[in-house]
Amino acid sequence: MPRSITLILLTALLAFGAVDCFAQSTTGTVSMSATVSKFVEINSGGSVTLTGNSGGGVTTDGVTNSPLAVSINLGELGPSNTNSFVSASVPLKLRSNAAYVLSMTATVTSSGTTASKIGAADVGFGLGTASRTGLGVNAGADTNATSGDPTLPANGSVNGTTGRYEFTAVRSNLSAFSSATTALSGPIIMNAVPRSNANGLTVPAMFAVKPQFFENGTTTISVTFTVTAP
Amino acid sequence: MSKIWKGFLTALALTTLLMMSAAATFAQTTGSVTMNATVSNFVELTSGGAVTLTGNSGGSVITDGTANSPLAVVVNLGELGPSNTNSFVQLSVPLRLRSNVAYQLNMVSSVAGAGATSFSMKDTDVGFGLTPSARPANLAAGVDTNATPGDPTVGGSTDVNGRWVFAGANSTLGAYAVSGAVLNGPRINKTVAANSATNLTVPAIFAIKPQFFDPAPAITITAQFTVVAL
Repeated sequence: MPRSITLILLTALLAFGAVDCFAQSTTGTVSMSATVSKFVEINSGGSVTLTGNSGGGVTTDGVTNSPLAVSINLGELGPSNTNSFVSASVPLKLRSNAAYVLSMTATVTSSGTTASKIGAADVGFGLGTASRTGLGVNAGADTNATSGDPTLPANGSVNGTTGRYEFTAVRSNLSAFSSATTALSGPIIMNAVPRSNANGLTVPAMFAVKPQFFENGTTTISVTFTVTAP
Repeated sequence: MSKIWKGFLTALALTTLLMMSAAATFAQTTGSVTMNATVSNFVELTSGGAVTLTGNSGGSVITDGTANSPLAVVVNLGELGPSNTNSFVQLSVPLRLRSNVAYQLNMVSSVAGAGATSFSMKDTDVGFGLTPSARPANLAAGVDTNATPGDPTVGGSTDVNGRWVFAGANSTLGAYAVSGAVLNGPRINKTVAANSATNLTVPAIFAIKPQFFDPAPAITITAQFTVVAL
């Protein structure tokens, strides 16, 4: 190779090398990924209201925005209780960033041994009107799968054959909830607001028992609510 | 010696003397070297070191910053829905700037994959700000002008819909859908060697308030910084 060409190539290499040494970075990137997962929540909506009871009382009351774990003594459910119904109204509070389904499962255990013992069908149940109010709560129509207040005349009556009072409307007593069954559903509850926003959807869960000549004994009624995002 | 030969030698001697005399008359006694050079505008952006991620739930730093290396940070911010009970998910990214002229740092950003409803996370839900300190004595004297309000987690409040709003102008990525200035100032470096470690380090802070955003499994937030010479 002629000497002149060799010199030209060496000069070019040195020039490129110098440029490379002083290359400067003038841009940079910050890439972030994130997730927003479905969120559904059930809490207590506040204090329980117990009416028509004889000797009963609220053992563990509900506390707004705290986990729902109320305990109630319904008192006397035999004929010595002359009230029309023993009713307990339990406020529920729901929040979500997605459509939700509130389901319920219930068990009724009685010490009685005959057909006259208190059974699941003797415990009326229904959800009241769902309320979406307050800053940050999304407007939307909720679907109540129950018949509402079980003490309404339209929801029950005395059986003309047996004389026993029965809650007859659709999903108006706990026998309809021996396995997890939808009680309420609806669209997204909360707007895009911080979790510290204390508002939400509130709905009263109403339980009622008609005092009757039930077989004497003790009865335990257990109800579990579960909210999911389908 | 013949007459002819004598005449020839005489002529040769005279010619030699004349030539030596001429050579002495034109001797080179000075010289010059001429050099051309340039000092170009120099602005540089690199990583200022490791990032800091706080308030995250399930997130992590995937590609960390390395001081004096190209800025190419990748971070998983984790859960941004209400199940993250922290006040903010916050990412602090140190930026390292050097220049021999006045500079301007620009940023352009985008948010993708968050959904399109009014409850989806928007670029305005990503707080942003720079928190530059006064220049140390080893840098050229000067004041840097911050176009952002600083730490986005300071101040802020909920709007009429209950959604979190970052305080001040240019406090979210919504202000940087197109490239915009975030910081500018006079020359940064004194006349120091190119391998000098002196630099202006500025933390860039990103923050998101976990809220009841629409569920979104794969949100991507990108911020690109570019430094230019003014």
